[in-house]
Amino acid sequence: MSLAFGTEVALAAWGTIVGLDLVSAPQAMLSRPLVAGAIAGVIAQDVEAGLRVGVVLELFALDVLPIGAVRYPDFGPATVAAVALAANAPWEMSLGVSAALALVLAVLGGWAMQLVRRANARAIQRHAAALAAGEARAIRGLQYAALLRDAGRSLGLTVLGLVVAAWAASYLRPDRLTALTLTLVALGAGVAAAVGGAVRGAGHGRRLQWLGAGLAVGTLAALLR
Amino acid sequence: MTGRWRALLRLYAVQGSWNYERMLGVGMGYAAEPLLHDLATADPVRHTEATVRSAEFFNCNPNLAGLALGATARAEYLGAPGEQVSRLRTALCSPLGALGDQLFWAGVVPVLVGLALIGVALGAGLWPVIGFVVLYNAARFGVAVWSLRTGLRSGPEVARAIAISWLPRWASGIGPYAAFVVGVAVPLAAGWSFSHFPRRGIVGALVVAAVGLGLARWWGRGFTTVRFALAAMAAAVLLRLMVA
Repeated sequence: MSLAFGTEVALAAWGTIVGLDLVSAPQAMLSRPLVAGAIAGVIAQDVEAGLRVGVVLELFALDVLPIGAVRYPDFGPATVAAVALAANAPWEMSLGVSAALALVLAVLGGWAMQLVRRANARAIQRHAAALAAGEARAIRGLQYAALLRDAGRSLGLTVLGLVVAAWAASYLRPDRLTALTLTLVALGAGVAAAVGGAVRGAGHGRRLQWLGAGLAVGTLAALLR
Repeated sequence: MTGRWRALLRLYAVQGSWNYERMLGVGMGYAAEPLLHDLATADPVRHTEATVRSAEFFNCNPNLAGLALGATARAEYLGAPGEQVSRLRTALCSPLGALGDQLFWAGVVPVLVGLALIGVALGAGLWPVIGFVVLYNAARFGVAVWSLRTGLRSGPEVARAIAISWLPRWASGIGPYAAFVVGVAVPLAAGWSFSHFPRRGIVGALVVAAVGLGLARWWGRGFTTVRFALAAMAAAVLLRLMVA
């Protein structure tokens, strides 16, 4: 790993942006692992690592429908931290450990999001009188404070991830076979997540047939490559 | 009515204060403020009532929130009774949620993510990722502009405007394409990731995938692939330690 301080700061800023993007604003799909990972790779000057980490975590993200009140993992800041760990190392060796770090952080991020939502609700209760009086200033204040809370959550999550990544790069050195095994397990679980999510989303009708056709075409193309 | 562009911009943060009490309510109130501005001079009492209503409970897919925002703002300017505006808002929650989730989360996003994965797997580097972000945001901006315009034009008649628009057809029609594209993308992305590994390793990874799929089928709800992945990785490390 060994990233410059400026790079770490840029990654923390990027992690904050993608954490905010998941729900709060602007939902521009920057928080998708593929996008978050690719740009983090550009920042860390290792695009290959960014894309490799982004693709494997995107397979997990395909299993998630980020709808309303459902608790879902936050893959954005987690992907940024995982890319920081995987950067400038042979990706076959580092992908498994990076994916493990990202999955733990993603779950933590989803849990932290619940805390932010509860804090938003408490703030609304505190301003109930102002809202009942139709004070536009109170609405603006609640909105900005909530955005700030989510930005704090995203920044905290990214910084935690970067610190753990720096620690893991220094002290966690699995032997070659263990590292390769972890990478393969992460990839296998990612495939299970993507296929499972796609089958569940397809239901039983025409969509399932189209999914089957797609899987057949994709498998054939992968074998021919 | 002024402030349409400001309202459109604020719609991008409509979920900014998401909570379990009013869900998108406060975000909708925030987005409604520029639209209701002219009402403050024309009818201050109505403006206050409209502001209160604008921040009440609301939930739908954020990409279609403009339909409800525009329709309720229009209804306020038309002088519709307050209860009618509140009913209109409540009635729009479920259909806009269902249509938006079908169109975006089960349609546009999987199609574009799938295409980006295919592009990366075929060796196009960063370009598919850039293409994904640009295309998604172009589509989203177009839908946001259409939603707000349609809502503002239709007011209380917005349900009829939605029913005869492209939205229901596209929302129900895009699903099979999304399923096909994701179906093509997953094996290609997996193949790209496996390309540096020996056959024995790939077979092992596919066994992990099969076990994960089987457990998901058997366990049903409560089983998450993230938990499975972490458990499988912990098991792999333990096994390696035991062998060592």
